[in-house]
Amino acid sequence: MLEKILPDKIFLPLSRKVGFGALNEIRMRADKPILLSVQGQKFFLSEEGKTRSLSSAIYANASMIEEIVFRASECSIYSVSEQIKKGFIATPNGIRIGIGGNVVEEGGAVKTMTGFSSINIRIPHEIKNCCLKAYSSIVGSFSIHNTLVISPPGGGKTTFLRDLVFQLSDRNLAYNVLVLDERGELNIGKSLGLYSDVISFASKKIGFENGIRSLAPNIIVTDELSEWEDMEAVKFASNCGVKIIASTHCDSIENFQKKFAFKEIIDEKIFSRYVVLSMREGPGTLEGIWDENFNRIMRW
Amino acid sequence: MKWIVLAVMFCLSVMVGIMFSAKYKKRELFYSALIMFAQKLDVEISFSRERLKNLINNMDEKTKKNLFGLDKNFLTYLDGKEELSMEKLFKNCPVLKNDEKETVFLFFKSLGRSDALGQSKEIQNFIKRFDENLSKCASENKKYGSLCFKLGIIVGLFMIVVFI
Repeated sequence: MLEKILPDKIFLPLSRKVGFGALNEIRMRADKPILLSVQGQKFFLSEEGKTRSLSSAIYANASMIEEIVFRASECSIYSVSEQIKKGFIATPNGIRIGIGGNVVEEGGAVKTMTGFSSINIRIPHEIKNCCLKAYSSIVGSFSIHNTLVISPPGGGKTTFLRDLVFQLSDRNLAYNVLVLDERGELNIGKSLGLYSDVISFASKKIGFENGIRSLAPNIIVTDELSEWEDMEAVKFASNCGVKIIASTHCDSIENFQKKFAFKEIIDEKIFSRYVVLSMREGPGTLEGIWDENFNRIMRW
Repeated sequence: MKWIVLAVMFCLSVMVGIMFSAKYKKRELFYSALIMFAQKLDVEISFSRERLKNLINNMDEKTKKNLFGLDKNFLTYLDGKEELSMEKLFKNCPVLKNDEKETVFLFFKSLGRSDALGQSKEIQNFIKRFDENLSKCASENKKYGSLCFKLGIIVGLFMIVVFI
């Protein structure tokens, strides 16, 4: 997919000299050097591959960025305008392109976005067995704990969740898993196993309500809880007896406990496992697992 | 033998007339196909929001035929990475004048580059301009198209009279 999106000037050094295996993200800003994140480390992109030398770096420009957004929308920006309003485009194979530019607001809501000036292309990775260290703490013999995966952006939450869904399927635990893929990142190809249904690009509120009514899931897996509305959706699902495995952005368990939006969820002990990931030894470094009372039950 | 030669000359003269008049007819057909094309895009983009490639591929054959390959050239551009150029877009389309080519080029260049509301308004603006061109082409066809045909016949007859 990237070969169709990126201009040859960028794609060729990336594919020939850098490779996509270890590449986490590509950042492009108008009139600034293209930045790569390779296993958590930052490099500039040059014709010779990754470099730390600014003088040989390839620079992006506004028209290049505009063209990439156009190509990423399959040459139909109108078809992804709802995603653009939320600040991203998701390609069919799970590549998420975050977009920066001029937001046009009307009546307190985002109407559209124009003048794209920066993009952040996140390359999804399928890392099999990356959740196994935490697996036994999340999945018991007869039950599954409501689990929240916590990490800073780019810390490997989505990859962890994707593998967790796969592991449930691979171990033949025939739970009906509903993957609520609000940003189109979780569902890439066959990585979600045999027992999962997917609702894509719906908000948490609509996805949880419709999913529970129509697909009767045992478990709902979703990415990036952040707003009050998401908390209401989680409470709704929990009251319906559905297990929830989700993720959120935060750098540590201490800071997470201070997040105001999660106060009720924490007080009501809806989540009984908190898995914290960091980038200490690269994305997806497992820092520990905490229970509903924030007692550390696993340490690495 | 003389009569055969005269008949051939008459036919040639009429054919030249038809050729000239066909140019006007083709221009009219082109604009009416382009308007159909644009209207279909407008409706589909507003409601189904289907991808541009699919919309163009699903156009009816009659419309596609009268677009003189513009649809195919545009699809080639969408599939590739090169910039859209006038030469490539109009390589099979000899019926347009340069200023008309520029307008049509801008229309194709604008496709897929804005949100549904903006895209729809843009298409409607272009449809108005194409409508003006269509009525101009229709009147030209009425005026010059039939004139060319009639001239072809007259010249043919004149040659017969002269050579008899």
